[in-house]
Amino acid sequence: MKQFDFFAGKELSRRHLLSGTAAIGSLLAAATLSGCGGNASAAAPRDIQFWHLLSGGDGIKMQALISKANEGNPGFKVHPTVLAWGPPYYTKLAMASAGGRPPQLAIMHASRVPGYAPGGLIDPWDLDLLSENGVTADSFAPRIWDKSQQNGKVFSIALDSHPFIMFYNTDVARKAGVLAGNGQLQEVKSPQEFITMAKEMQKVTQAHGLSFGYLGSGSQMWRLFYTLYKQHGADMELTPGQPMKVDRDAAIESLEFMASLFDDTIAAKSGDISTGIAEFARGGSGMLFSGVWELPTMKKAGLPVDAATIPTLYGTAAAYADSHSFVLPRQLNVDDAKRRDVYKFVSDILKGSLSWAEAGHIPAYQPVVQSQAYKDLKPQAHYANAADVIAYDPQSWFSGSGSDWQTYFAENVQNVLLGRDKATDGWAAFEKRTNTLLSRPNPV
Amino acid sequence: MSSSLTARRSPGSRVSSPAARGSRDSVTRNNLSGWGFAAPFLAFFLVFLVWPIVYGIYMSLTGKSLTGANDSLIGFANYAEAFVDADMWRSLGNTLYFTVISTVPLVLVALVMAALLNVGLPAQWLWRLSYFAPYLLASTVVSLFFTWMYNPQLGLINDALSKIGIPKIAWLNDPNVAMWAIVIATLWWTVGFNFLLYLAAMQNIPAQHYEAASLDGAGAWRQLFSITLPQLVPTTVMIVLLQVLASLKIFDQVYQMTAGGPGGSTRPVVQYIFETGFTGYRLGYSAAISYIFFGLIVLVSAIQFVITRRRSA
Repeated sequence: MKQFDFFAGKELSRRHLLSGTAAIGSLLAAATLSGCGGNASAAAPRDIQFWHLLSGGDGIKMQALISKANEGNPGFKVHPTVLAWGPPYYTKLAMASAGGRPPQLAIMHASRVPGYAPGGLIDPWDLDLLSENGVTADSFAPRIWDKSQQNGKVFSIALDSHPFIMFYNTDVARKAGVLAGNGQLQEVKSPQEFITMAKEMQKVTQAHGLSFGYLGSGSQMWRLFYTLYKQHGADMELTPGQPMKVDRDAAIESLEFMASLFDDTIAAKSGDISTGIAEFARGGSGMLFSGVWELPTMKKAGLPVDAATIPTLYGTAAAYADSHSFVLPRQLNVDDAKRRDVYKFVSDILKGSLSWAEAGHIPAYQPVVQSQAYKDLKPQAHYANAADVIAYDPQSWFSGSGSDWQTYFAENVQNVLLGRDKATDGWAAFEKRTNTLLSRPNPV
Repeated sequence: MSSSLTARRSPGSRVSSPAARGSRDSVTRNNLSGWGFAAPFLAFFLVFLVWPIVYGIYMSLTGKSLTGANDSLIGFANYAEAFVDADMWRSLGNTLYFTVISTVPLVLVALVMAALLNVGLPAQWLWRLSYFAPYLLASTVVSLFFTWMYNPQLGLINDALSKIGIPKIAWLNDPNVAMWAIVIATLWWTVGFNFLLYLAAMQNIPAQHYEAASLDGAGAWRQLFSITLPQLVPTTVMIVLLQVLASLKIFDQVYQMTAGGPGGSTRPVVQYIFETGFTGYRLGYSAAISYIFFGLIVLVSAIQFVITRRRSA
């Protein structure tokens, strides 16, 4: 409440006033109820406010999970509030936490936690309370568990990992002769092999071999770029006060390869996300680079679809990914009973995340991933290995899903992908922009 | 009020000093009741305008962050940083560019539309409705319409252009075109307001002027240039003023159609303020930029004020 310190002196009295009013209200209510001879207040479930950014198919799945958890726990009732993905969500969450009126529970991308934890906008999870509810470090794949921590404390509990993957049309692939004996796509190990395969598919579709909509979307460009960059075995570090540490050659090679794809044969030169998805869904191409969350759309389109991680073209298997994670926005006064309910609720959702997997995501909770039921989910099981090679955004207060940093990436490399700028120039401009951010005061 | 009237009517009020005092009392009382009537407005004015302005200036002198970290006074460091911030200048430049290229068509097209209607087309209500109706839509709706129509692959506009042999244009993805695409959308959306102002002004020009002119043998063009346009000067000055201020505040449609892209070519300064403050957490710095922008608006308004005063003098 530092940030709104024109309230500072009055915060207590205002709060007292409000709690006083609430107390009078509850006294009155109790009097009325006792007048009726009932004891309803004791039985009333505690209200838990829960914010998330899951819409569309994800939103429906999440609502079903919440309803199930509510039914199984008469002691509390979780009320979800759905906000728009990206800056609107993160801005509101930060402001609600800073203003001291956040929900008891929220979903964040794991990559955004470094922008929230150091400033005290979210609280760490209590490992003892978690294990009481059957959730421990062993419940998560090592990469995901590592990502949940900041300065040795667990700040986020991952529900899933959702990597950037490759969907392919099995009909097109079969006709193009690029299927292996097991019915899955042949393995390709170099950019050239990939291009050859895409061209074979193009001969079948007569339109494009690959669909990838990216125009106007920093997230899309970044997801593919970072996948390719990490496949070089390269790292990227963002330390405030220092220039960004990066393997420039790997970055430029990745950008040049991406640009070479958009030649209107392998892939459309100018496509945004929706045109890319629409093209693949109507059979206009053999492959689609997209997030796992697009699976329900493809199934609904009735497409003969399978999926795999993006082929390893530069020697090291890697896939850009993020995780939807539960966080505890900092409360001015923690209500212990509600906190306990939150732990129970989160563990219930994790244990029920098989249905979350149906939306395409890879559950973070290992007992679900190892269950036979999950292994039977196709094509989810075909890309479940991605959880072992996922790469989160380089850590900093300004990076992560839906961040301005990804927008800055688009600003500097879109013209490279459109063939108007050289990859070296586009990359240099992005690096300069990043270094400017790193040189500025760190606000968290 | 009644007591003040009584005081004024009291005999001898013209000469005696007690009566003069009485009228001074009544002035005071008048003032008091005046303040009383103005108080609700003043309270809102102070709480929601004056106080935020003062607090904003204070904030711009601190390193205040949305997360609550570091809110100490840092003097003019934010302003110093802003003056060498290339992105701030670029976004300010984008705002000015948009203001210039949008104000001209928004005024001229409104004038032409009003003039066409004023000559007495049939079904006046239909024209008025169709010119003004877009103004009633929300910016999100307008942005959605135009985003679809501008879609390079599936959009209505490129489809129409291809039928007359014009190659596809990447409306919102070409840095040279995107700002114009937003101007076109804004023109369609908001020109109706200026059109209404012009139409009202035209219909207020006395018919006798035109009668006299036609008796003297003036044709339609002569009447337009010698009667209509000169009579519209005060309205035009007002419309240009309102339009410049509205265009300087551009944000909604850009944010929704291009999010400032491609390559930052459409990012207006209001969006930059939003980004630095709310998604970049740096409230203090963001406040400093908004005061620089505020200074610019005051400057533009002052220039316009001087020009209009000279004209009316």
